[in-house]
Amino acid sequence: MNYKTLRIIKRILLNIPLALGSLVMLAPLIWMVSSAISANTFIPLQSLFPTGEVTLVNFKEAWMFPAATTEGLTMGTFFLNTIIMTVCIVIGGLLFDSMAGYVIARKEFPGRTFFGFLALSTLMVPFYVTAIPQYIIVKELGWVNTLTALIVPSLASGMGIHLFRSHFRSVPIELEECAKLDGASDFRIFFSVMLPISKPIIGTMTTLKAMWSWNQFLWPLIVINNPKLYTIQQGLTFFQGQNVTQYGYLCAGMTLAILPLLIVFLVMQNFFIGGLTAGAVKG
Amino acid sequence: MIVASKRERFGYYLFLLPAFVVFTTFIFGPMLYSFYLSLCKYSLVTTNNPQFVGFKNYLDLFKNTQFLTAVKNTMIFTLALVPLTLFGGLLVAMGINSKLIKYKRFYKICYYIPYVSSMVAVSYVFKILFSSRPDAAMNALLAAFGVAPIEWLNSADWAMIIIILLSFWKQLGYVMIIYLGGLLAIPEDVYEAVSLDPINGPTMLTKITLPLLKPTTMFLLVTEVINSFQIFTPVHVMTSGGPGMATTTLVTLLYEKGFKNSNMGQASAIAVIIFFALLLLSIIQNNLDKE
Repeated sequence: MNYKTLRIIKRILLNIPLALGSLVMLAPLIWMVSSAISANTFIPLQSLFPTGEVTLVNFKEAWMFPAATTEGLTMGTFFLNTIIMTVCIVIGGLLFDSMAGYVIARKEFPGRTFFGFLALSTLMVPFYVTAIPQYIIVKELGWVNTLTALIVPSLASGMGIHLFRSHFRSVPIELEECAKLDGASDFRIFFSVMLPISKPIIGTMTTLKAMWSWNQFLWPLIVINNPKLYTIQQGLTFFQGQNVTQYGYLCAGMTLAILPLLIVFLVMQNFFIGGLTAGAVKG
Repeated sequence: MIVASKRERFGYYLFLLPAFVVFTTFIFGPMLYSFYLSLCKYSLVTTNNPQFVGFKNYLDLFKNTQFLTAVKNTMIFTLALVPLTLFGGLLVAMGINSKLIKYKRFYKICYYIPYVSSMVAVSYVFKILFSSRPDAAMNALLAAFGVAPIEWLNSADWAMIIIILLSFWKQLGYVMIIYLGGLLAIPEDVYEAVSLDPINGPTMLTKITLPLLKPTTMFLLVTEVINSFQIFTPVHVMTSGGPGMATTTLVTLLYEKGFKNSNMGQASAIAVIIFFALLLLSIIQNNLDKE
């Protein structure tokens, strides 16, 4: 056997388990979408794809479903709440993280190392450890059942500051000095020189924050108990405890909750993967 | 570095202010408050202020079978999940990293999609997949092979296995991506230098690749243990800790005690115990790293 055929055999032998693995990884989600678009109630796992008639009626039903228990609320309300929350967390978080990361990376002032250390130390505190006092504080502030309670605690992140700091450290100092000689203030330099050259890291942080914010569950569960302000993840709990025999619309509901973020991920996958790896290698 | 005037320095603190106000209010403050609350009797239902009771909450916890079961379950979950995901993730990463694989991006996306999907939604999907109805997804698949329907989430043994399976499925892509980053960071000439010697695949793996991946493995070990210790969402959605106490974990118990029974003192004690367990782990990791 010559070298070339051996290589082809090796290639096939390696591709088979990887491809099978991919199929197993995607199977639950393919099954979910199939059930969502299928008119049949039960799709056995082995068929994976819709067996009978294909329909979108499940999506309509899922969208309207919570209305039965909450005086006319639909999934639309939950989507809107989640979008508002996610946009605010992403924009506000990017701003706060980049500002702090910038001065820690580039400026000389008393306490600089200390603040850098503090920002990193927040990574050591698991959310669940602070959940109870956080709730008590939010309650004292009168924020229970407001979107403010969902947004404000997530406006700064140690990981964000850390990644922005690493990024700003790699920017050549001459750039800043030139702007300074032209008489630009620090605020001006930050917003019109430093931020515009930070697009990759902004892309990375946007995807990471969006994913985290869109998928957060326990915190909304604690601070929001008015269905009008439910996030999409909480909205899904309406499906729980239903005596479900129609799996179709349940799966449609889940598909609706997963899809928006999946699209963001597919569009911005390079930023996304880059960000996680950067956090691991430099962290 | 440009020397800063006093006024400019004041400006720097303004840059730091927003982030650190958030940290102080929602991380550092609550952290300290947690320690204090764990030494108090406190309920949100009554209007009483926290009442100092010393270490009573901790002593009560260690006598409480619920807590001991939760510790046991969390340990089982962590000890099963972490080695599984690390091993599986490394295997997939090495496969994708091979020069023989062409469609790297495609594979990466396939393995990565579960990680991006909402945990609440996929927990529901698994709940339906593993429904105990004989005609539902997984049981229907088993029936095709002539296996009798299984009770899945209603069975104390299977419930934990399904939660581990779901977490493995969800976390595998993340571990794979991080390992892939680690593999790419190994310089090409290391392998070139080795390939001059007659060395076989397994030796290459144990003597070259794995030792060079040690920092990545350490990072993943710590982050995965921290994540596993905080397992909450799938349990909350799929089993609510049942059947019986079979899937109750530390965080589901914390949620139950704190927000359902309003026993804030005891819930804080659980939080503090989780914190110190994880802190200890990080310290051990740091020391191992230095060796």
